Amino acid sequence: MHNTLYPKPSFDQCIKCNACVIDCPVSNVSLDFGGPKHLGPELKRLIENNEYIDDSRIDLCTLCGNCDLSCPENVQVSTLLAFSKEAHAEIAGTKFRDFVLANAETVGKLASVFAPITNLALKMKPVRKIMEGVMGLDSERLFPSYRFKNFNRIYKKKTANTKRKVAYYAGCYATYNAPEIAEAFVKVMEYNGIEVAKPDQKCCGIPMFANGQMKQGKKNAEYNINSFLEYTRQGYDVVVTCTSCTLALKKEYIMYLQSEGAHELARHVYDADEYLRMLHAEGELNTNFAEMNVKAGYYAPCHMKSQGIGNPAMDILSLIPGYEITDVAAGCCGQCGTYGFKKEKQDISLSIGKSMAEAVEEVNADYTVTECGMCKNALDQLTSKKTIHPMIVLAEAYEKAEKRS
Amino acid sequence: MYDVVVVGQGLSGLLSAIWAGEQGKKVALVSKGTGKLLQSTGFMDFYGKKPATEMTKEAVDKFKQLMTKLNLPYLGDFGSKVSVVTGSGYLKETILYPETVVPVPDSGRVLVVGFTEIADFQPAFVKGNLERERPELVVDTLTVSLEQKSLRTMTQLDAARLLDKKENRAKVLKQIKAQMQKRNLGQPELYIFPASLGIENWRTVLQEFSVELGAPVTEAPGMPPNAPAVRLFESLRKAAIRMGTRFYSDTEVIGSHVEENLVRSLKIQTSNHTTEIIGRTYIIAAGGVLGGGHVMTAQGLKDTVLGLETDAYGQYSVCPENVLLVGASRGTKELHCGITGGVSAIQSSYESVLSLTK
Repeated sequence: MHNTLYPKPSFDQCIKCNACVIDCPVSNVSLDFGGPKHLGPELKRLIENNEYIDDSRIDLCTLCGNCDLSCPENVQVSTLLAFSKEAHAEIAGTKFRDFVLANAETVGKLASVFAPITNLALKMKPVRKIMEGVMGLDSERLFPSYRFKNFNRIYKKKTANTKRKVAYYAGCYATYNAPEIAEAFVKVMEYNGIEVAKPDQKCCGIPMFANGQMKQGKKNAEYNINSFLEYTRQGYDVVVTCTSCTLALKKEYIMYLQSEGAHELARHVYDADEYLRMLHAEGELNTNFAEMNVKAGYYAPCHMKSQGIGNPAMDILSLIPGYEITDVAAGCCGQCGTYGFKKEKQDISLSIGKSMAEAVEEVNADYTVTECGMCKNALDQLTSKKTIHPMIVLAEAYEKAEKRS
Repeated sequence: MYDVVVVGQGLSGLLSAIWAGEQGKKVALVSKGTGKLLQSTGFMDFYGKKPATEMTKEAVDKFKQLMTKLNLPYLGDFGSKVSVVTGSGYLKETILYPETVVPVPDSGRVLVVGFTEIADFQPAFVKGNLERERPELVVDTLTVSLEQKSLRTMTQLDAARLLDKKENRAKVLKQIKAQMQKRNLGQPELYIFPASLGIENWRTVLQEFSVELGAPVTEAPGMPPNAPAVRLFESLRKAAIRMGTRFYSDTEVIGSHVEENLVRSLKIQTSNHTTEIIGRTYIIAAGGVLGGGHVMTAQGLKDTVLGLETDAYGQYSVCPENVLLVGASRGTKELHCGITGGVSAIQSSYESVLSLTK
């Protein structure tokens, strides 16, 4: 009945060393969570060729993926956790609220149509109180605002005709909440003589996986794989500005679908800064940046760390003259996509975010740079610093340089 | 692309990355996971087969300087081994230990305090073994509760994080005092706790406990995770990141491209593809059999990192000129069982980074 497929290497490689538990943001602030080791490889051992055991503690997992980063034996712990979430949702049912949160894209579409009203309403305390009472959405946690002129309305280009061609996966956040990120990305690519096409796309599925809506997430995954493979097979590179979407396309589709298509697509996927760094290594990057004289802090989203790409945002931003950037060396932000909006998870979410906020204040930079829209949500609420996407900084550095010349 | 590519995220890898970064090198650290430092005691022992040298002393001093800078000072000196008690009550000799640790006296009275919730630390068991180790020592025991509802089996790390909070410390102290009074226990010279005296606020825990209990307190490391190891790992990782080390996490090195006895690049595998990482120098800190840098075969040890031929002791038959081996990667000719114990990791990391300037 429940998904027991598991990609190699086997969970049997787990030696119960506890590295994943030590690095688990939730385990570190709550004794209610079973922990990645217990709910991942240990539970899997117990139920393999046996009756399925549903463990409700899985609900507290955020799918941040730090367990995969810390595992010295290469066990893909988070994949096991995602399957446990799926099974738990099937057995215990899904709250209406979680169903809504999982469908971030539908929410984005609707909210952006009525953007001025939605935004106003989401900021009103009485409305938030009602949402808390009826839906279990925390009234203290602020929601990102929605934009009527979303990226889908602004940008409709379906093909590119330059030597290098980019198929852009924008993701829900840059489409409905912050189209300026998507526009900045297109501009940055323009400065590098690269045209950007925006293929048909659906939500990457991350909010669905995190809420146990695996079937629906896989449907979206199939859709995106088919849509983008048409492009990669014509020589396009897939570039993404949201680190969680990037991880879905690079890793989670492979883990959850285990299909040829998922593998084929993943090989062509780049984080936006990773792509620029690759251009730089090939001697193709336009480095005509204006001097900026900024001391920035960088917050690394968990799903950026998961990609095994070093720190491309810092690599690229460091090319701007006068731009000094330091990684604040913080752990998880605690927002974790839809997790931080849930009332019953508020204590955990804010406790996790506390050490992130401390790290940001300790470095005390002019502002914080991060790629993830949901991390930004936590950073905006918990720190005194402004948070900016690296593409916005880069677009500004290019524009200033152009105006000067 | 990088001046130095470090492979491995254990003590050797992190120290190499930090010290190379201090020299202004552009450093990448590639690892499939955390190193075995997390399963250690966090103490620095000497397991080398060759005797210590001046270089050992220099490296140890350098490590102590670093740890003081990172606000996690280490005590102890090279040349003087001290006996510390472990979570099983046996003594072990160590060289360097964190400020949360006090060596065990030869005689007098000690009190072993356990937590009901931490099954891995049993005061009666500690007492039995410690009394055999130190016949002139009077050992009392007591067990207190952390008074927390937990939906999982608690570890020393859970206890440490609970003790970071004032209200939990107060509960524990109150119980200890009450039990000591009720059972009329004599004032000990040392309190022995599991290795769980706080993570972020260890200094406050230490101060508050020793003042309130009227005697020094110590941590006895046992089943991982031990708080001293977690503190050490987290502070080294943070230091490396703040210095600009680029972490390639969840990334496995699956081979190397060697030309004219120089490594030109490492072949690395991430979730989505196989690619290359290029450095001028490569520091291999992937550990021995325990850390995964070596595997044991019928023909002896084999290397899992560069894919090059080794002798039966895990040493490269021909080591490329731009490859530096640190920690347990140096093979079992230098180390007992291929375990660094700490001091050998410190020394080889320090030596390797020194050689970068030459």
